[in-house]
Amino acid sequence: MTAFGAALPRRAGALVRRAAARPQGFAARSALALLLVLLVAPFLPVVVWSVTRAWFYPAIVPQTLDLSAWTSVFSATSGVPAALGRSVLIALSATGLAMLFGVPAGRALALHRFPGRRLVEVLVLAPLVVPPLAVAMGLHAVFLKIGLAGTVPGVVLAHIIPTLPYVILVSASVFSAFDTGLEDQARSLGATPSQVLRHVTVPLLAPGLAVAALFAFLVSWSQYGLTLLVGSGRVPTMPLILMQFVTAGRQDVAGAIAVLTVLPGVLALVLSARILAAAAARERTTS
Amino acid sequence: MPASIRLALMLLPAVVVLGGLFLGGLVLAIIRTVGIVPFAGRFDPTLEPWTRALQEPDLLLSILVTLWVAAASTLIATALGVGAALLLHRAGGGRLVTLLVQFNLTVPHVVTAVGMAWLLGQSGVLARLAHGAGAIDRPGDFPALVNDPWFVADIVAYVAKEVPFVAVVALAMLAAVGSAPAITARCLGATPLQAFRHVTWPLIRPGILAAATVVFAFVLGTYEVPAVLGPSHPKALPVLAYQMFTSNDIADRPAAIVVSLLMAAVGVVCLVAVRRLMRGISGLEVVR
Amino acid sequence: MPIPRRIVLGLLAGALALPVAARAAPLSEDALRTAPFETIVEAARGGTVNFFLWGGDDRINAYVSGPLAEALKAEYGITLNRVGVADTAEVVNQILSEQEAGVTDGGAVDLVWINGENFRTLKTGGLLLCGYAERLPNARFVDWSDPSIANDFGTPVDGCEVPWSKARFALAYDSARTAEPPKTMAAFLDWVRANPGRFTYAAPPDFNGSAFVRHVFMHAAGGAEALSGPFDQARFDAAAEKAYGLLDDLEPFLWREGRTYPTDIAQLNQLFANSEVDFTFNYEPTVFGAGVADGRFPETTRSFAFDDGTLANTSYVAVPFNAANKAAALVLANHLLSPAEQLRKADPAVWGMATALDLDRLTPAEAEAFRALPRHPAVIADEDLADRAMAELSADWLEAIEKGWIERVGR
Repeated sequence: MTAFGAALPRRAGALVRRAAARPQGFAARSALALLLVLLVAPFLPVVVWSVTRAWFYPAIVPQTLDLSAWTSVFSATSGVPAALGRSVLIALSATGLAMLFGVPAGRALALHRFPGRRLVEVLVLAPLVVPPLAVAMGLHAVFLKIGLAGTVPGVVLAHIIPTLPYVILVSASVFSAFDTGLEDQARSLGATPSQVLRHVTVPLLAPGLAVAALFAFLVSWSQYGLTLLVGSGRVPTMPLILMQFVTAGRQDVAGAIAVLTVLPGVLALVLSARILAAAAARERTTS
Repeated sequence: MPASIRLALMLLPAVVVLGGLFLGGLVLAIIRTVGIVPFAGRFDPTLEPWTRALQEPDLLLSILVTLWVAAASTLIATALGVGAALLLHRAGGGRLVTLLVQFNLTVPHVVTAVGMAWLLGQSGVLARLAHGAGAIDRPGDFPALVNDPWFVADIVAYVAKEVPFVAVVALAMLAAVGSAPAITARCLGATPLQAFRHVTWPLIRPGILAAATVVFAFVLGTYEVPAVLGPSHPKALPVLAYQMFTSNDIADRPAAIVVSLLMAAVGVVCLVAVRRLMRGISGLEVVR
Repeated sequence: MPIPRRIVLGLLAGALALPVAARAAPLSEDALRTAPFETIVEAARGGTVNFFLWGGDDRINAYVSGPLAEALKAEYGITLNRVGVADTAEVVNQILSEQEAGVTDGGAVDLVWINGENFRTLKTGGLLLCGYAERLPNARFVDWSDPSIANDFGTPVDGCEVPWSKARFALAYDSARTAEPPKTMAAFLDWVRANPGRFTYAAPPDFNGSAFVRHVFMHAAGGAEALSGPFDQARFDAAAEKAYGLLDDLEPFLWREGRTYPTDIAQLNQLFANSEVDFTFNYEPTVFGAGVADGRFPETTRSFAFDDGTLANTSYVAVPFNAANKAAALVLANHLLSPAEQLRKADPAVWGMATALDLDRLTPAEAEAFRALPRHPAVIADEDLADRAMAELSADWLEAIEKGWIERVGR
């Protein structure tokens, strides 16, 4: 727990940026460039495929520019816009619930010693280490019986399993760096509990909690197996729809769906980077 | 409000949710493999699913191949992730680099897998470049990296996805450690390599090991990547389990749960092993 | 912080997104089998039908969610909810799971596009609504005595499913690469041996790969008759010896020396399109035309069937025992059989799937409309397929052959 707590990205974006500003050697720079190519390369054919068709070996550059995949994806009958909305709804709901349950638990784990703490730690870590397939298969029958299988709320509940541990771990690391004395000072100066929360706790914690929420959102967003099992195939999120077109060999449509599948995560990333930057700016002006 | 009640209120929701959904699901899965389905009122104890699963001729091969993929992906991703973190920490390259490293965190695995298939396949982008350069004639001349028995594209996909994760964790660790210990070591005459091996690495090791454990367990349990990039035989364990779970033979389903429980058991063994490793490390509190 | 409010909204939205079970007054199972069809239509009016079908073809998706759904809405006031799946086995699995969990009413699936093993599993498990099919008003256009309609991969249909489309197996080649394809199985196998690395087939249990292996089986057994009728272990063993031996011996001449096989037909299609191999095949030859149209196949793609016979099957729609909206499902099943809807589906510009109706039972004008449908040059003429059609093996044969392949050839 301690190691996890310390390890997780406490304002990772700011750190990376600060590190990035330093001077560099040529070797280091080219190694980094090579790594970046590896990281981004798989996404290039995806983008190209979305704007062409009949792009056969050995053509390196596609012969035709064709936007029909995008027309087809955005048509009313494709189900893709609905899936995009569904995915966003599921990821936001799962993130919200995970934050609701996870942030207080993170605070408790970071700032308090209590009997049974070790058990709680194990319970929090276990979903990260135990592959979710078995759990989902166990839940499936119950969810079917109570009418949750194949529904959006059922999938949201299932997504809490992998997202909650990340929220707890990140917020634990946030709280372990948090000076509760500031809350005490505010209280002793006469602030009500809600005022303390609004004017002291939240502003101080916002950047770290934004990272926690970002992690939760991304983890939920990329779920495949859990959604497939618990959703009984009836809750087509973007990854599921994408797979349908991949298994059908429609590379153009799959490419367009893949691009759409990446966008919300990038938006979430940019949004949380904004929050981090704003917090850093605030820190600079106040200190 | 007494402190203990406040504490309980903070912990309770998370414990109840994880206990109910995660532990509950796990327990239901386990009892289902011995013929007990409480919610359908079925209680006919049997070990048939276990014998059926263990008799699955490809089980051992699937376990081995899944462990191979997980181990290889974890090792490479961890090494590259730590390397990237060190480079970014020391050298770096500005806002764009940051965003690009983080970009991969946002890409769902299924997208990476699909992209990898189109990049590394025998008629993929690399093969076409090789053809354009005159290195190969027909697609079959390009090395078989996708759907190959060694899961090469599979491993590359996991590496591409997990390097940013490890890098972000490692950067946080490096920032927490600061540059002072390594600089001190350099002043005392250590080479950069020695400074890393004997000073920086021991300090960041716990966090890196933890991240590596998460990566390892994740790779063990992921379905969509081997489903897209794996060969027709042998199958990765999650693919085997899912195929058994959706088999037309209803008796295969509890056996599929057995297979995924075996996978989970491997995960638990890893957790315990790494926790034991981590407990033996002093200097953990320095990190805090 | 602005986030919590948004999260709360998200939660609320999530909670409110509970499935809206729009159910009209349900009819009893007996009523569904005996009541006049108007009663069923009345019971279904204003409701919803959840139609589960393979979702990997955007033409099919567009047809089902588009004109089909609109027609159902306009004529019966029923909302068609298309649920795309990656594999029909997932739907079977869903129904089996519901049964296992004791969900005997209000099941998720109202209608499913199905045939073969999937149908047999559900029928033998007693998981289908039966006895209504031949009573549907439009069932009069179907020749129920035709063995290829009355038996679904050897399993008697017994009014448990409604025919929707017919399909016959064909192979595709690129006329720019292969001038004249080998037209018999023996010649084809010779071609494979003479052109190492230029052929492979999708690994069973892939639906199409499995059909190719059955063709080899029939060839090795000396004809379709050797494998017809109910499953027989002795006959299977005799044929298996030859067939798997033949396939084993073929491996060195296959793509990647047969060390691995494409896992599904889409992979084989891509190998073909990128000239990695010279043939692909499909149980639904109209995909070759559609594939050229949507850029999956080269323009010069053409198709043919083996002269020694090509397998034929019928695909159906079926209603699970626990469907929430059975009346609406029956109305949709009936509508799918209407000559107008069958004609629309058979149009290559829409989908191109061959009709399950008996043209002799239609008016001459209607029948002529079917005959006059255009054909994509990549698609083999229907007459050429009809001449060579062979009945499918029974599901037991099929399963034994797949299982044997996985054990003896696939690893």
